[in-house]
Amino acid sequence: MTPDEPHDAVVVGSGAGGAMAAWVLTRAGASVLMLEAGRDYSPDESPMLNMAMDAPLRGVGTPDKRFGYYDATVDGGWDMPGEPYTMAEGSEFMWWRSRMLGGRTNHWARNSFRMGPYDFKPRTRDGLGVDWPVTYDDMAPWYDKTEKLVGVYGSNDGLENHPNSGPGVLHTPPKFRVWETFLKAGGDAINIPVVAARRAILTKQIDERSPCYWASACGRGCSIGAAFQTTTSLIPWAKATGKLTIATGAMVYEVMLDATGKATGVRYIDKATGSHKEAKGRVVVVAASTGETARILLNSKPNGRSEGLANSSGQVGRNLMDTVGSNISAYFPQLEGRPRYNEDGAMGLHAYIPFWDYKRIQNGEVDTPRGYHVEIGGSFGDPGMGVGSGLDGYGSSLRADVKRRYGSRIGFTQRGEMIPNANSYCSIDTETKDKFGIPVLKFNFAWSDHELKQVKHFQTSMKELIDKLGGTLVSEPDEPAKAISKGGEIIHEVGTCRMGSDARESVTNQFGKTWDVDNLYLTDGSVFASKAHKNPTITIMALAMRSADNIATRLRTGEL
Amino acid sequence: MPNSKASDLVMIDRRVTLKWLMGAMAAGQLAACGDGAKGVTWAEMEAIKAKGYGTDPDFNNTAAPWPLTMTQAELVAASSLADIILPADGDYPAPSKLGVPAFINEWVSAPYPDQHRDRVLIINGLAWLDQESRARSGAIFASADTAAQKALLDEIAYRDRVKPGLEKPAEFFSRFRSLTLGAYYTTPAGWTEIGYVGNQPGTGDYPGPTPEAAAHIRAVIEGMGLKYTAP
Ligand SMILES: Cc1cc2nc3c(=O)[nH]c(=O)nc-3n(C[C@H](O)[C@H](O)[C@H](O)COP(=O)(O)OP(=O)(O)OC[C@H]3O[C@@H](n4cnc5c(N)ncnc54)[C@H](O)[C@@H]3O)c2cc1C
Ligand code: SF4
Repeated sequence: MTPDEPHDAVVVGSGAGGAMAAWVLTRAGASVLMLEAGRDYSPDESPMLNMAMDAPLRGVGTPDKRFGYYDATVDGGWDMPGEPYTMAEGSEFMWWRSRMLGGRTNHWARNSFRMGPYDFKPRTRDGLGVDWPVTYDDMAPWYDKTEKLVGVYGSNDGLENHPNSGPGVLHTPPKFRVWETFLKAGGDAINIPVVAARRAILTKQIDERSPCYWASACGRGCSIGAAFQTTTSLIPWAKATGKLTIATGAMVYEVMLDATGKATGVRYIDKATGSHKEAKGRVVVVAASTGETARILLNSKPNGRSEGLANSSGQVGRNLMDTVGSNISAYFPQLEGRPRYNEDGAMGLHAYIPFWDYKRIQNGEVDTPRGYHVEIGGSFGDPGMGVGSGLDGYGSSLRADVKRRYGSRIGFTQRGEMIPNANSYCSIDTETKDKFGIPVLKFNFAWSDHELKQVKHFQTSMKELIDKLGGTLVSEPDEPAKAISKGGEIIHEVGTCRMGSDARESVTNQFGKTWDVDNLYLTDGSVFASKAHKNPTITIMALAMRSADNIATRLRTGEL
Repeated sequence: MPNSKASDLVMIDRRVTLKWLMGAMAAGQLAACGDGAKGVTWAEMEAIKAKGYGTDPDFNNTAAPWPLTMTQAELVAASSLADIILPADGDYPAPSKLGVPAFINEWVSAPYPDQHRDRVLIINGLAWLDQESRARSGAIFASADTAAQKALLDEIAYRDRVKPGLEKPAEFFSRFRSLTLGAYYTTPAGWTEIGYVGNQPGTGDYPGPTPEAAAHIRAVIEGMGLKYTAP
């Protein structure tokens, strides 16, 4: 079919949420038109084994490619020429966009931790934020299906609020490397768990995708299909049904409604010609990413309603959350000069530190209500431009120091839960338009004391662990207010169109269906009711799968 | 430097001095001239206007697209400084043999803000190095004898022993050292020397630590009185 013909479903966005919806719907027999603002992209373009040496500036990040020359993101980053966003005075927010087929799934770190029972009912536990309209038990089968489809390595450790996956779901995780074994020994001694990480990476062949071959940074994209990205999986699979039409370079700016209040499709700008076009469908699914989905709704003004579409609750754009981030790193003399071997492995996490202190929180012995996990980095990695950091002097002793120090530094990265607050939201900046003439987003963002106290907990705990292992801090961490990441910087932004069980306080129901428009669905991170410390994407996909299943049923029964 | 090149160096050096003089005049700092190395003002430089590689570069053609800007004299100084930072050692060649000066040139010529900051530091720093060396021994840095070169570097190369008043040259040196090390250890020779044996696709399960590496860490962990868990 062509983009001009009416389809059963119009899906906006081809990232984690959009591609999952498109795959479920096409498999159920529905015709789907996927509109993607970026260019067509195939991971066959990925420069997988190229050396840093062959890239300009040894591949370091620049304003053209913020995460490095070989990073998979094309036409994206913190700033995009001609496509600004603005910030309210006193607010800082960073918004990462990847305008390409597959969106940010082409280069995400693939860390995939399920949310647990506490995470879906946070208000019930501590009175803060809101509960989700679903429980963990509702979601468990969808997590299993998603993980099985996606391919996730990890282990079932039966830890509190870190649920096991169903039998046979997980791929075997790669072995710990020397420095991870070392950290585990320290953690064991002071009751900080160091366990296998979970990542959306295959370690055995399950379909046409190959298992990890233990080389090449996953952020470059994985052309062999081992690291999950929608461009090696959901999108080609949906295409193979013969039911998917993709229009790239299609910048959607509003949802159209008919006189009865049903969505009829969307309007978009065809970037190649600059012409405005309409795409029609029985159901509209918006998954343009948390910020952009809110922007499209707020810019849709059916019958001149200034509050935007699906916004009778006033919650569109509200409750913007990101992950709490901060870092500590240390040198460990005990790791100096250790025997060399290939520590590339799956490049990212083999091990991590899941949150362990729930009991003390429950007993009121800890002053921060919500947890975090710690992502760790070390290894004899590909030496980069930072190889000399911290070294001194010159001459043959410097040569010796480089070798001695190599592989003895470990970085600890906090990834924590943020509680939604009234000062963090996005709205339309009525003064500023992008190069297409579309009004842009304006961000307000503020952390609260809860998050700052959580940073303190992380700093104290990690210093204890580093101490136990005889490490020396690279530098003393800053005060929490300075150490904490900027809003959006961790690129886990969620929550601008939260789901709930009450139409007055939420934008969608538990299936991502907007309360106000019966055939308008949202299937990206915008629907999150809370931002657990777990990285969001596996949950985005599990929710998208569940919502799309609901759409498919309603299409089949003729309800839509 | 071999003697045969000495005359080239002097000539080139004069050109640098001239360029520096013009820069100093523009910055209204002429009064400082003729005062040896104190004349280097570490002045801001005009930003490079060339195009970057863009947001969607072609991985089949990865050459940096911007023109290189360092003068011959700056390259000579950079090359000799890099070779003192990491002198050749057995199988491991000096940085100048691995293209490190050319890399520094690519770096300081790049049209991006971080590299611009380094350019101001490094171009001024290289001029400082030559002028300071001249003021002390009559020769530019590359032509000075090893003892003189080291005496100079000893005043700026150690974080806790920077000679008062030489903070800016020390900052230059530290940045130059970082770039030199980064450029050096990202080459195949650098990988071999440091012991990086990755970027090698394999089949089957990830093998994990070699028996030797595992035995080593086990001894370390148990030596600390902690419990070792085999991977
Ligand atoms: C470097 C990096 C590392 C990350 N690591 C992790 C990790 O380890 N674990 C994890 O869980 N998450 C991680 N994330 C976050 C993860 O990438 C996102 O959570 C996820 O991709 C969000 O999915 P999405 O479908 O909402 O949006 P996206 O994947 O961003 O997809 C949105 C798509 O919509 C398109 N689009 C946008 N606007 C429009 C428009 N107006 N019209 C048409 N199309 C439009 C975009 O071009 C894009 O293709 C990481 C992100 C980055 C950048
Ligand atoms: S480490 Fe494995 S999963 Fe990641 S890009 Fe390389 S082959 Fe793919």
